[in-house]
This record gives sequence, structure tokens and C-alpha cells, in this order.
Amino acid sequence: MSRRRIAELTLPTLSIIGFIALWQIVVVLRGIPPIYLPAPSAIAAALAQMARDGSLWINLTATLLRIFAGFVVAAISGVSLGLLMGRSRIVAQIADPWLAALYPLPKISLIPLMIIWLGTGETYNIVMSAISAFFPIVLSTYAGVQQVDRGLVLAARDLGASPRQIQAKVILPAAVPHIFNGLQLGMGVTIILVVAAEMIGGSDQTGMGYLLINAGQVMDTDKVFASLVVMAVVGAVIIKLQRFIDRKAAPWAVNAGASRE
Amino acid sequence: MEVCVEAVSKIWNVAGAAPVTALDTVHHGFPSGRFSCLLGPSGCGKSTLVQIVGGLETPSTGKISIFDPATAHSAPVGAASIMMWQGLNLFPWRSVIDNVAFGLEVAGIGRRERHERARAMLAAVGLTGFDRHLPRQLSGGMRQRVALARALIMERPILLMDEPFAALDAQTKIVMQEELLRIFDATRKTVLFVTHAIDEAILLGDEIVVMTARPGRIKEVIPIDLQRPRSFDLVNTKEFGALFQHVFHLIREEVTRAMSEQAGQASEQAA
Repeated sequence: MSRRRIAELTLPTLSIIGFIALWQIVVVLRGIPPIYLPAPSAIAAALAQMARDGSLWINLTATLLRIFAGFVVAAISGVSLGLLMGRSRIVAQIADPWLAALYPLPKISLIPLMIIWLGTGETYNIVMSAISAFFPIVLSTYAGVQQVDRGLVLAARDLGASPRQIQAKVILPAAVPHIFNGLQLGMGVTIILVVAAEMIGGSDQTGMGYLLINAGQVMDTDKVFASLVVMAVVGAVIIKLQRFIDRKAAPWAVNAGASRE
Repeated sequence: MEVCVEAVSKIWNVAGAAPVTALDTVHHGFPSGRFSCLLGPSGCGKSTLVQIVGGLETPSTGKISIFDPATAHSAPVGAASIMMWQGLNLFPWRSVIDNVAFGLEVAGIGRRERHERARAMLAAVGLTGFDRHLPRQLSGGMRQRVALARALIMERPILLMDEPFAALDAQTKIVMQEELLRIFDATRKTVLFVTHAIDEAILLGDEIVVMTARPGRIKEVIPIDLQRPRSFDLVNTKEFGALFQHVFHLIREEVTRAMSEQAGQASEQAA
């Protein structure tokens, strides 16, 4: 690590350590009951306990599998539909009213309906995950295809590219920054929705959302905090990883094209 | 290859506005192996004309024919020409070498061969050692060379150039103009070169096709009988100065007319 990188990491690290230390001191000195606010040491102990008895790994794996299964379905179908809409005006016109109506609908409001239709098993969790990721992915892909520079398409045609080659070698790569942007947005909402779905449809009794609501119901506050810490760390890792892949896959678009929405 | 433009007109139909005549019955033969410059005020349809010649835009009326004067064989519009664009239109996600090799790639030529040919072409335009760079990592002049190499590698007999050097700084522009003169002397392609710079048109062209302000028509064709090979030193000669004066007066009329028309339209709208 370069000296500059170390310097950049110093303050954030101190910020976290300082906050935890302050928290510990306040809880111990003022004797705050652990059921209300457990000390960081107690949360760490709960986390270690969850790791030892395996409940952490089982539930974390269940949640991650649901997130990724739904996300993959949404990514494939969303990117495909977005590209098709960009290619065919008819497809775009057919899809448009549905996207316009369903995109702003809070996906969490679909949970009761999905439980009626699908029960509370894996299908329910994965469908919720896929539905939530699908809309931002379709819309970003479609926007990306529509914004392709017409000059690039004409240049490719002049250089002898067929319509199919233009699609694969010009329109698709030109839309990549927007597609990745959509995938990032989709991943963000999928994490939220899977955990929410687990909390509400918890009768299947796995997942971080289940762990969280179960611990909350029996006032096991250290476990609630331990679960929150795990989810915050996992979420941050997923988002960082995605940005990293993004930069590797589309280095030409760094600071250009992939504007946040 | 000779390009014959016969009674070509182009009318743009814009929704909610009066149709605009960009080109009005343009006739001209661009002779084989000659460097023709299209000169005119902005908005005179010169870009539209080269795009029509390149098959990238369809004429509203009239036709383009492209044929070899020696054999009388004709070629379909677009098949014998290649365009170098005003905005270059390099693919930003492709490395320099893959930009240059694009035309070969879509023609199904294998990776090794197309890269070899692209490397040779990059060397020919004076750009070696930047194969793996992305266009955004290059300077303006270097990007010009990439775009030129991407066009030349197609080995089409007609080269269409739409104000390719307009965005360059003065020094780089001179270097690129001399580069183009050298390439033209070596290949003797039929060149249609759009520009609004009079000195550029005289320096490069065998003839200057002066166009009128909208609607675009051909006002006058001026032959430039300056000896080749040419270099930038030419601009200091007496002949160059005389030609410049002549062309400048023709153009000034058009620019003034275009400006007064625009002013007239503006006051009409205001009234």
C-alpha cells in the first residue's frame, strides 16, 4: 500500500474504533441495560456464538443464495428485454405502460400477494428478489441502448458491419456503462427486498431477515445488533465488488456515461 | 473511381416546421484520383452531400453513380467509399488497434492477420506503440491518425472526409494536412474533402467546389493548378494569395447572404 493510501485509510479507521470505544465506555459507565443497548463486547460475543453454533453461516448462506438467484434471473431477463426494446419499437411500445406502472410501485407491497400465490418457501424469496432487481435493470439497459451515439452506428455501417454486428459490436458495448449502473441499482434493492421478505414470510425459518426478527421478538438485542453488523458488512462488500467489476469491464467509461440515477 | 452526382436534392422534413431544403439539384462529377474540396458557409449542405455520396444518407431526388472510368464498371453506392468523420466516431471501448481493425473484423478476417495489417497501417500514419491505448488516452492529433488509419485500411478507392481537422489546434492541423498530402500522393484516391477553411481547401485540393448558403447549390468550381507534391510552404506564394482572394470574395457573398437571411428570419419571428 502506498503512503497516500494509508493516509486515506487512517481517519475512517480511527472513526470506527473511536465510535466503538465511546459506545463501550458509555454503556459500562452508565449501566445501560443490555436488552436496550448491549455493549460492543457483548455484540462481538453474540456474533462469535452465532459463528460457532453455525446459525450465522446457515442463515447468511440462505440469504446470499436468494439474493444471487433472484439477481441472476433479473439480470438475464432485464438486460434481454432492455436490448429488445431498444431494437424494436413494437416491443418498446408493448412493454412501456407496464414498466411505467410497475417501476414506481414499492415492491415490498407485493409481499402479501406473493405469499398468497407462492407460500413462504424458496420460490417466494427468489421471486421477490428477481422482481425487485428486474425494473432498474430493464430501464437502465433500455436507456443505454437509446443513448448510443448515432455517429458510432453510422461509422460501423460505413466500415461494413451488418445490422447484427452493429447490435453486438456497437450498441451492446456502448450501453455497458448504463447496464452496469442498472445492475448496481438492482443489487441494492434486491438485498433490501430479500431481507424484508424473510422477515415477513419467516415461517420457513432461515435467512438473515428471519434471524433478525426472531431475535427481536425474544428481546435478544445482542443478536439483533450482531445480525445488523453482518448485513451491513456483506452489503458493503457486494457493492464494492460490483464497482470493482464495473471498472474492470468498462474502463473507458470511468467518469463518463455511467451517471448515477 | 469517379463519382457522378446527378440532380441530387435533399429536403429535411422536421415535424412541426416547414421542410428545409439542404441541397437543391446539385450536379457535379468528381473525377477519378482527384482531390476535391467542398467549401461553403456552415449549413450549406456539404456534409449532407458527402454522406449521400457515401450511401449513409438517401437523397430526396436525383442519383449518385460510382464507376471506374477506365473499365466503365460501376459500384454500388457506399461499397467503394469510406468516410472520415468530423467527430471521428472512434469506438471509445476499443483499443487503438481494434478500432483500426474494425472493418477487417466485421469482414471476417482472423485476429492475427487483421492486427498485423492494422499495425502496418498505424505505422504508415505515424502512430506506432499505442496499439493498446484507448482513444481517450490519446491527444487530438493522435486520435485523428487512428481515424485516418481506420478509414485507409479498408483500401476503398474513394475517401470522404467531413471537416476532419476542424477541431485541431493550428500546428497539429498543419502536420495532419501535410500527412494527408503525402498519403494522397502515394495512393491517388478520389477524395471529397469538406471544409470551411479557404486556405485548407487551396492547400489540399485539385479543385474547389464552392457551395451557396441554404439551399445548398454549387456556385462555382475553381480548379487549383498548383504543382504536387505540395507542402505548407505553398501558403506563402503569390499564386496562393491570388487564389485565396478570389475564393474569399465568392465565399464572403454567401456568408453575408446567409447572415442577412438568418437576421431576416429572426426579425420575422420577433414581429
